[in-house]
Amino acid sequence: MAAPLPKRIIKETERLQSEPVPGISAEPHEENARYFDVKVDGPSGSCYEGGEFQLELFLPDDYPMCPPRIRFLTKIYHPNIDRLGRICLDVLKNNWSPALQIRTILLSIQALLGAPNPEDPLNEAVAKQWKENQPEAIKTAREWTTLYAQKK
Amino acid sequence: MTDVQERPHKKRRFFVDDDEPQQEPEFAAEPSLPDEINTAPEASEHVSHAEQEYTQDVFDPDTFKAVVGGEVPHSAIRSLQKRFSTNLEQAINAYFDGSWRTPSPQKPKPPAVGLKFPRALGREGSSTCSSKENGTTSGKTSPPPALEAMPSTRYIGALGVAGWTTRSGNGLLKPGDNVKIERTKQAMPQKVGRGGRPKQLQRKTQDVIVRFTNMKGEEIGRLEKDNANWISTLVDQKVCSFHGTCVFAPERIRTNDTVYLQLKCYMLKQAFEKGNFIKPLENNRQTGLFETKETTDEQDLRLRQVALVQLFQEINLQPSKVNETTAKHKREGILQAAQVAEQYDNQDATQKAKKSSTPPENGGSSPPSEENEEGEELEQDQLDTLYKKAQSFDFDTPVTEPAETFVMDLRKYQKQALHWMINKEMQQQDSERAAAQSMHPLWEEYLWPGKDADEKDLPHVASQEAFYVNPYSGELSLDFPVQEQTCRGGILADEMGLGKTIEMLSLVHSHTSPEQQAAIAAGGAAAEDSVSSLTRQLKKTDDVISAPATTLVVAPMSLLAQWASEAEKASRPGTLRTMMYYGNEKNANLQTLCSAANAANAPNVIITSYGTVLSEYNSVAALGEGARGRHGGLFSLDYWRIILDEAHMIKNRQSKTAKACYELSAHHRWVLTGTPIVNRLEDLFSLVRFLRVEPWSNFSFWKTFITAPFEKGEFVRALDVVQTVLEPLVLRRTKDMRTPSGEALVPLPAKIVEVEHIQLSQPEREVYDHIYARAKRTFAANVEAGTLMKSYTTIFAQILRLRQSCCHPILTRKKEVVAEEDAAEEAADIANGLADDMDLVTLLAKFQAEEGEQDASKFGTNVLKQIQDEANMECPICSEEPMEEQSVTGCWHSACKKCLLDYIEHQTQKNEVPRCFNCREPINARDVFEVIRHEPDDAEDEDVDNSIVAGHRLTAAIDADGEDDNEDLYSSTQPFKPDAKPKAAARISLRRVNQLSSAKINILITHLKKLKKAEPQTKVVVFSQFTSFLDVLGPALTGASIHYLRFDGSMSQKERARVLTDFANRTKFSVLLISLRAGGVGLNLTCAKRVFMMDPWWSFAVEAQAIDRVHRMGQTEEVKVTRLVVGNSIEEKMLRVQDRKKFIASSLGMMSDEEKKMQRIEDIKELLS
Repeated sequence: MAAPLPKRIIKETERLQSEPVPGISAEPHEENARYFDVKVDGPSGSCYEGGEFQLELFLPDDYPMCPPRIRFLTKIYHPNIDRLGRICLDVLKNNWSPALQIRTILLSIQALLGAPNPEDPLNEAVAKQWKENQPEAIKTAREWTTLYAQKK
Repeated sequence: MTDVQERPHKKRRFFVDDDEPQQEPEFAAEPSLPDEINTAPEASEHVSHAEQEYTQDVFDPDTFKAVVGGEVPHSAIRSLQKRFSTNLEQAINAYFDGSWRTPSPQKPKPPAVGLKFPRALGREGSSTCSSKENGTTSGKTSPPPALEAMPSTRYIGALGVAGWTTRSGNGLLKPGDNVKIERTKQAMPQKVGRGGRPKQLQRKTQDVIVRFTNMKGEEIGRLEKDNANWISTLVDQKVCSFHGTCVFAPERIRTNDTVYLQLKCYMLKQAFEKGNFIKPLENNRQTGLFETKETTDEQDLRLRQVALVQLFQEINLQPSKVNETTAKHKREGILQAAQVAEQYDNQDATQKAKKSSTPPENGGSSPPSEENEEGEELEQDQLDTLYKKAQSFDFDTPVTEPAETFVMDLRKYQKQALHWMINKEMQQQDSERAAAQSMHPLWEEYLWPGKDADEKDLPHVASQEAFYVNPYSGELSLDFPVQEQTCRGGILADEMGLGKTIEMLSLVHSHTSPEQQAAIAAGGAAAEDSVSSLTRQLKKTDDVISAPATTLVVAPMSLLAQWASEAEKASRPGTLRTMMYYGNEKNANLQTLCSAANAANAPNVIITSYGTVLSEYNSVAALGEGARGRHGGLFSLDYWRIILDEAHMIKNRQSKTAKACYELSAHHRWVLTGTPIVNRLEDLFSLVRFLRVEPWSNFSFWKTFITAPFEKGEFVRALDVVQTVLEPLVLRRTKDMRTPSGEALVPLPAKIVEVEHIQLSQPEREVYDHIYARAKRTFAANVEAGTLMKSYTTIFAQILRLRQSCCHPILTRKKEVVAEEDAAEEAADIANGLADDMDLVTLLAKFQAEEGEQDASKFGTNVLKQIQDEANMECPICSEEPMEEQSVTGCWHSACKKCLLDYIEHQTQKNEVPRCFNCREPINARDVFEVIRHEPDDAEDEDVDNSIVAGHRLTAAIDADGEDDNEDLYSSTQPFKPDAKPKAAARISLRRVNQLSSAKINILITHLKKLKKAEPQTKVVVFSQFTSFLDVLGPALTGASIHYLRFDGSMSQKERARVLTDFANRTKFSVLLISLRAGGVGLNLTCAKRVFMMDPWWSFAVEAQAIDRVHRMGQTEEVKVTRLVVGNSIEEKMLRVQDRKKFIASSLGMMSDEEKKMQRIEDIKELLS
């Protein structure tokens, strides 16, 4: 890591510590300040409530021109998240704007958990299930949450 | 009468031709010009021919005897041989008039011994001589009474001449008869010559016919051409009259016979009267208004000069007193000058041989040679040799400390200069006293002969033993010509940057006139006194009055302000009164102000421009006699000292400015110049002429000893003389001189020059490539057609456009840029050349975003408030707080300019439509506006400096303390009024970010911003050769909130001065935009320490000179120069051309226009390769 950390990253990091968003935490790695360990609580009222999901977040060199790269580490049953944890979310792709920040992105992800969108699936199987048998799908999601996303 | 007589006479002469075949070609060549027959010899014993025939050291005694016709003692012949060597004619004259007996040539008076002069003459000779003697005795000899004053004519000598008859008859003329010598000018030249050939119109001036008539008034004949040439001049100009006596004539005279006459020469009284002679340059009116007349005056002068010298030679009158220095040169003599003139004329004549052969000395078809020749240019090495001598500066020269009223520290070499200068001024004063009795170096003294040719005593005139002649001007005087004060100053030729101005100012402080010292000593008393004396002075005097406390400084306009400020800086407050005398500021009557009576209050330094001197010179000249004093201006005073700065301004002695400067009078005269000789020896003459260095300030003298030898190829001799002239006059040191211990004369801080290569943006590159392809096509086409030289301007114009496009593409559309360039015809070319070029127009359109005159109503209250509110927030993109160069999108979302543009760029690269980072509205790079915040400080500047106000698209006033409910305060249409709003009000305006920008400008702005941040007090000079580029740079700097001033050739002196003062006095970061040309000479910009060269010039020397405005004496800090050069472009290639040029010894200045073009073509080949 040759280049010094941009002011923007430093400021975001600082602010994530000093003004944490409830239910979300992001800790930079000591050896790589662009790499964050993220934990997002499942939103209340959703099938992920009670779960604590771990994600990894990486800020590429051209951040904030480019969106951060982010992935679920915790297994999750969700139509917009594939088996590798990759997330289908517009603000992480075409709708990225440099005005968005780590904080806002994580909030978006939390919101995504609260409002799965099977119409724009990443995980076809889950999406299919979600569309054809939503109660079953929600049940599976709850199970998975209990199974994989228990707070330690 | 003349023509009627001449024709038959000529026929006879063709008869004679049989006897004299060697004359034939000459006559045959010019049959139609009878008065140009310049000799009438017929017999071989002719005196004039005898002269030509003898080339040995001495004349042949036999011939001599044959001529004088009898026994001559050997001793007499030997003595004559000794004195006249080969000059048989003179010897014969001397023999006849008896002057050969004179023991030394210094005493032309014949000794009072014996009257044995005509003894032992031959049969013819004896009779003629005795009778002649009788004749003259009766006519002239009388007891010598002492006369009270100069008689109307006075005898000075006699000579023998030959003439030829124009009539035939018996007893027309007998030996001993008196003959009259007459000049009859031909009234008008003949319209048509023989054979119908038109005659030369100048014929009148060629008329040198001198007739002689017998006592009955019948014309007998004419004098031979050789003598007639100068005799006619003397008679015409009323210098002399001649009385002739026939010495020999055949009894029966036939036309074209030769007769011998003795002429007695009498000087006319009026010849000595002042005013009878036109003195060129002495009278303003003549030189000022009758420029053409001056040529004839000068021609007359020259003729008289030559005639007098010949007269003295013929009558063998030697000067009794000559100035030593002049005498040294005298032997090579004034006649050499005449010879040179003759050569000129002969050359001229051969060129026009078919028309006529111009008689020598008479100018003929060409004006006098000194009038129109300009002198040859010096080769560089000759110039070097010259300077070398003057530059052998002795580092052990004593120093003089300046007066204590002078507060600047002088370096050692400057104190040495002061010592030298004071010495010059003081020494000269001493020598002036000594000079009171010494004769003016150009004049010669001649004793009036006491006896005439017949040894008769002549009337003696009381207290007039001698008369005086200036052989270099042909002036005559009865009064002793006192040596005028010679040069009381010199040439300070230190190289640029060594501080000539300072040195001069130290002199102003340290050597004052006695009157001024007295005035200072008297102090207040004198001041009171001056009130009464002022009233006395008010009645205007016609005379030039003395200004003993005043030094006049004449400088180019651009340096006036600098002189004034340097003078102020160098002086203890209150010790030096300076006054600008320029333009509208010259309302004062200088006579009143500067008179001796007012010495205590008179300005000590008056600073004026060459233009002012010239215009006053013209108006004084127009007023006529006595105008100098009445005018009350620069010419009405006799200053203590005059200083001409950048004195090569007067290098052309014929220019009016030079003539005007010569007329200024002063005790001490100084010229400052880094280049005393620009390229001709005559350049130096003008300085010497101004300094009034006798005898060199006489152009005839100068020409004789410097110009003529130089043109004859005797370079060494000419340059030797120039060195002798220069050595006592010039002090010159150069920057690279080192003291014996090896230290630089002027240690200057380091100078770092860096080249920064710039990449053009894509649209710029497109424009560049387009023009480049075009230029290359044109070039190739012309190479193929072989019309390279013909289409030079076209190609050159395209190269110019290429260079402009490197600066900013829109420059190529501006016409005025041409004014900066060499050839004016390029103007048309540029205007027309690309007009039809639609591709380029399209390309350029990108740079000419429609004027940002957006409807102000678009900017609603909230928007402006929002922008204002956001100003101090952090950038949403980079989190910088506050934003750097806050800019807004078309949808009014703010971010740093760079962030915003980077993001747009980022999206564009991904082939996405750029959208607002905030609202995702599609946005456009052109719709990004930078928010310009005007600090109160800048607002103040605007009041004095219009430049900042210029070019704003849209202005919105915002009250920083804004009351939310006051809508009006946010009205975007309300202009900011400095006096209406308190200072707290911050004004913002929005400016399109991408407008008027180019890669080069961006780099410059980036540099400047960094500098401003890092060193908020630094001053920067930005040079460009294109004023149109400066036009673009200005608003760009404003946009970046960078204060700037501008200096270019179009500004008035007052503006320039103000700009320079402002720039020097500003305490904050400031930029001076300056055009390369305007900043080339003299300026002192040492207050800056950063330089940006926006575009390369053909030779680096020009850029270097500009850089030296900053990196010169007085610079205390390291100077960093950044040369901005567009990579992979013509500019880079120009750098290569520059490098190559450094190795070409002769600069462009030494080349002819054609050579320059060739050179440029070579350059262009390289540029387009």
